Amino acid sequence: MGIRALGWLAVLALIGGLGTAFGYAPREVVQGNVQRIMYLHVPAVLTAYLAFGLVFLGSVGYLLTRRPGWDRLAMAAAEPGVIFTGITIASGSIWGKPTWGTWWTWDARLTSTAVLFLVYVGYLMLRGMIDEPDRRARAAAVVGILGAANIPIVHFSVKWWRALHQPATILGPEPSPIAAPILLTLLVNWIAFTLLLLYLLAKRTEIARLEDMHAG
Amino acid sequence: MPDNWSYVFAAYGVAAVVLLAYWRRLAVRAKNLAARRPRRSV
Repeated sequence: MGIRALGWLAVLALIGGLGTAFGYAPREVVQGNVQRIMYLHVPAVLTAYLAFGLVFLGSVGYLLTRRPGWDRLAMAAAEPGVIFTGITIASGSIWGKPTWGTWWTWDARLTSTAVLFLVYVGYLMLRGMIDEPDRRARAAAVVGILGAANIPIVHFSVKWWRALHQPATILGPEPSPIAAPILLTLLVNWIAFTLLLLYLLAKRTEIARLEDMHAG
Repeated sequence: MPDNWSYVFAAYGVAAVVLLAYWRRLAVRAKNLAARRPRRSV
């Protein structure tokens, strides 16, 4: 499948996701319609986990093989990973104001997510600071591998520490307590975000390949 | 609880702006690269 076709598929999936979030999912009984932010917030963080998992994979692949393709994969996944984490933090903060009464609190989940965001912003800054390709790729790979250790910390922070943030209701050990229409809407949006990630990844990898070609 | 639609639209609006800005940045970079010729070693 071409990159353009993947892009259109992602657009259609996002439209479907918006349709389910605003047209199919019911109004949540306790929170009201503000809960619809969760159809953005939850898929965004799950997609960020996937992106940073790909950074880890690309980093390990590069250190083992020294093939530039692995480094390109890591770099191309880090950028959308940072963007999806930023969307997670922003949407969570916007949801928090009417629900918790505050834009931000130093809760374990929020703080560890902010650290995750900053680690990968640092990863991208590091890449920008080193010109020599192999040195840049090696240094970035080390950060990409160490940074991935923060993903389980973010996910399990609500179990390990007393947190204001609710515990995991999907990807948890027990069956999800979420009502079927809400779960289905989350799933549709998660698929849409994953397709968008794959599109952005393909596009960014192609750009990196062209840049390497131009650099000689 | 009130519906707080303004917060809902703000959250989706921020996400749309950020994603569109990133996509546009990638599209411009790809276009510029496609217009350039690869460097040839002499």
